[in-house]
Amino acid sequence: MSDNSRVRVSIVGVVIVALFSALLARLWFLQIGAEEEFKIEAVSRATRIVQSETPRGSIYDRNGLPLVENRASWAITVDRALEPETRRVVLGQVAEILGEPYTAELLEENFNDVRQSPLKPAIVAADVAPTQRVVILENTEDYPGVHVEKLTVRNYSPEALLMPHVLGYVGEISEEQLAEHRDDGYVEGDTIGRAGVERAYEAELRGEPRREQVEVDPRGQIVGTPIDVDPGTVGNDVYLTLDANWQRAAVDALQQGIDGARLQRNDNVGERFETFRAPAGAVVAMDASTGEVVAMASFPTYDPRTFIDGISQVEWALLTEGAGPKPLLNYATQGEYLPGSSFKLVTATALTRYGIRGHSQPYQDRGFVEIRGTDYENAGRRALGQVALARALTVSSDTYFYTAGFAFWERWKGGDVESGLGLQAVAREFGFGENTGIELDERAGRVPDPDWKRDFATSVYESERAQQENSIWYPADNILMAIGQGDMIASPLQLANAYAAFANDGTLWKPHVGRDVRDAEHERVLRAVAPESLRTIEFDPATRQQMLNGFAGATASDSGTAAAAFAGFPFDQVPVSGKTGTAQVKDKGDTSVFAAYFPANGTQYVVVALVEEAGRGANVAAPIARHVIEVIVGLPSAATITIGDSGQD
Amino acid sequence: MVTITAGPLAVARRRAGETSPLHHVDFVLLMLPFAISGLGLLMVYSSTKARLERNGVSELYFVQRQGLAIVLGIAVMAVCMAVDYRKLRDLWALVYVTILPLLAGVLLIGASRKGAQAWFDIGPFQFQPSEIAKLGVIGAVAGYCHLHRGDLDAWRLCVAVTIAVVPMGLVLAQNDLGSAAVIGVCAGTVLIVAGIRPQHAAVLSLLAITAVGAVIVSGTLDDYKLDRLTGFIDQSSGASAADQTATEYNTEQAKLAIAAGGFDGSGLFQGTQAQLGYVPEQHTDFIFSVVGEELGFVGGASLIALYALLAWRLWRVSLLSSDFFGTLVTMGVLAMFAFQVFENIGMTMGIMPITGLPLPFMSYGGSAVIASFAAVGLALNVHMRRFS
Repeated sequence: MSDNSRVRVSIVGVVIVALFSALLARLWFLQIGAEEEFKIEAVSRATRIVQSETPRGSIYDRNGLPLVENRASWAITVDRALEPETRRVVLGQVAEILGEPYTAELLEENFNDVRQSPLKPAIVAADVAPTQRVVILENTEDYPGVHVEKLTVRNYSPEALLMPHVLGYVGEISEEQLAEHRDDGYVEGDTIGRAGVERAYEAELRGEPRREQVEVDPRGQIVGTPIDVDPGTVGNDVYLTLDANWQRAAVDALQQGIDGARLQRNDNVGERFETFRAPAGAVVAMDASTGEVVAMASFPTYDPRTFIDGISQVEWALLTEGAGPKPLLNYATQGEYLPGSSFKLVTATALTRYGIRGHSQPYQDRGFVEIRGTDYENAGRRALGQVALARALTVSSDTYFYTAGFAFWERWKGGDVESGLGLQAVAREFGFGENTGIELDERAGRVPDPDWKRDFATSVYESERAQQENSIWYPADNILMAIGQGDMIASPLQLANAYAAFANDGTLWKPHVGRDVRDAEHERVLRAVAPESLRTIEFDPATRQQMLNGFAGATASDSGTAAAAFAGFPFDQVPVSGKTGTAQVKDKGDTSVFAAYFPANGTQYVVVALVEEAGRGANVAAPIARHVIEVIVGLPSAATITIGDSGQD
Repeated sequence: MVTITAGPLAVARRRAGETSPLHHVDFVLLMLPFAISGLGLLMVYSSTKARLERNGVSELYFVQRQGLAIVLGIAVMAVCMAVDYRKLRDLWALVYVTILPLLAGVLLIGASRKGAQAWFDIGPFQFQPSEIAKLGVIGAVAGYCHLHRGDLDAWRLCVAVTIAVVPMGLVLAQNDLGSAAVIGVCAGTVLIVAGIRPQHAAVLSLLAITAVGAVIVSGTLDDYKLDRLTGFIDQSSGASAADQTATEYNTEQAKLAIAAGGFDGSGLFQGTQAQLGYVPEQHTDFIFSVVGEELGFVGGASLIALYALLAWRLWRVSLLSSDFFGTLVTMGVLAMFAFQVFENIGMTMGIMPITGLPLPFMSYGGSAVIASFAAVGLALNVHMRRFS
């Protein structure tokens, strides 16, 4: 190496020594010399409270099977302040990372979704895989305004998908709800139960939010560790009265019953060949000694997972709009149906209590009865011969009850209003025409009476003449009501609750789906939902015995209306009693109804099945109920149910 | 007969008689990349684990990838040591012409990150050809100057400058200002050592200053880039934080973090700025702020000392080199490390503009780590073949 080169190499060395010295000097100045100055700056920061939700409680079935729990969903969010042009580019990049089915357009659509809070970064994609998230974390500079955020969403077990109508769903708190719940510690963007158990037990399921007092710099950025932390508490768990296995039986049977009905010919439409539409239906199973709902199925149903991370407008429209049945409706509590002959439970109780007819007083059923010039017929005008109360229920004699309905009307017409509206009074005693008080959304149905008819006519008709004509309480109003037709409407749950009151000898329970609330950590019961009696219905023991005989005969005796549906049933092991109903609906197929009660597991259960536009009660509803009964009792049950085509009303 | 296993005779044989290069490895220089990259791994872990945890990704994600890059880097270093560097001296032109298409290709089909189109996507990994280009240009300029040693006239100087300027232009076109500057500094250093005449050096310096000025004034650069370059000049501490630009904010946060470290630091994994992620790019370009905050002046000064040790060993190799090419290449490598270390730590402490250069062996980023190992391997190569 030449001397010249040595000199040059040395010059470079000197420069490098100078550079490293400068670094050291600067480091010394920053860390030792100027430490105080920077420390002071670090302290002068504003504080703010940041609130975040703690995990929501889980929901279990009566046996402790998990139904709804929480899981983390990693979402990609985009700042709202981003320039539209930048956003377009960034969303394109994000779509590239995510791949199918995401496109820049879809992400833009999600960004603009009005159901998201305008105050927070918009969620454009949820359930993003770690490999995709890491790309964004690694290259934050290329994704301005893009963040990865952990969302806690509801996780539904397979069993939970069987009962979305009971469980309900959660969603982001709406402005109205926020105004209402502000004092309860809710803030924008919080999750709140919006239907079903999620809403009914909101106070229990929601924990106390975590509150952190943090320092923020003037840019609003959080700086350092929180000054003060209130960790809050996690939500409590809710155990339901529903049994997931029985619920599965109810859902399966209902689905099969509806599928089967849709293959059956609807005779009501004359010569035309048409099958039943069977658009909707419900099954309710209750413990008659406590009012606990042990199964509750509604058709059509929906997937509660649709609501995770917010439901899109299109999905919402699919669930709620259009003329067809509404999947979000719980037809077990919100469906209002003519109960048909299943209502004869009420008429039977009323006609004996008010002395219209004794329980053993015979009546000659000729297949029809002429009242004031109008023929009122049995189904198919079939003459059933001499019947008393028990047999009238077993064979479902309409004329027996028509005449009772007319007798009530005559008393009313004669001025004895109290006795003349005895049928209505007993119906109300059984809980019809009012909410049952269950934790879920429900409808009260209707018990028609002269007052209702007048109010209805006044509200519907314009002219005074039409109002007056339609206000008249005709004999037909009471006669049809006596067999659960006319203007009498009820929900399947009301029907089940009424039969439960009969089966348990008089206690009308407030039905409930919540069993108890437990501490999430220790599974300690914090609050048990106690059976609550709404009222006691007095039954004359001898009359009740005749009615018990009548309902028992409907399933077990050869002449019973549900005999075919219960062919081969081991009545010696499980004495199932029941009542069919076939409600005629103007311009539509008949509503198929069946109500049953039976002893099992040391208690009494009630099962009600109902399918709209599906034909006779014995053909569709009774086989559905039978399957549910077999599963509750623990009898061997065929995997498929048999839909009848010859049953009676 | 007695077998001589040790003693003066054996030593003598090793010094002079033994020609195997493996007997002349500079172990201090060999160990430095391991030491610094080990510390880097720890710092990458410390600065990313909280953020990864918060985002539901394995907290070892970055560490694993960086660890893989280090293993690859060690392998590349071994290759760079094994192949006689004098092959590079003879084949510099070949190396050079393979680099140009890579740099051009990345402009056409490369992936864009951090505002620079400088990466090839290879499956889950990215390859940044500009890192290889730094070494390639050092080798090429050194090779050319070695060819015309002692006779670097104006014409040959123009050729040497062109060798450096073409890849610089391509790297600039990728919007990677920092790497272009590194190439310029490396080439400049090689030329100085190669014997550039003072008057030529003055002209070149003027040209370089004019070019930089033109780039800044002409608006070729995006606003944010300009802002990053000039942001360090105006650091008025009186300005309220709300008025700060993003650049000022970055520097301010990094400086705050380092200042918070004090003499002995807040402790490993204890840095609030690092753990809460208020310094952006903390595992890549701003990793020194984690060292400063968590390990304090003791740690920061030690790291600078390690780099100084590295610089000294490289400088020593260039003096010991058996040929002029070895001297030039090692000086280029020395310039590359010294400039990157000074620029990176300097920008973190607010005395240099922000250019997005990684801190060698420390910053998260595979290509840079591998290239750094390769560079040290090249210097070790020169050192261990000084007798052969």
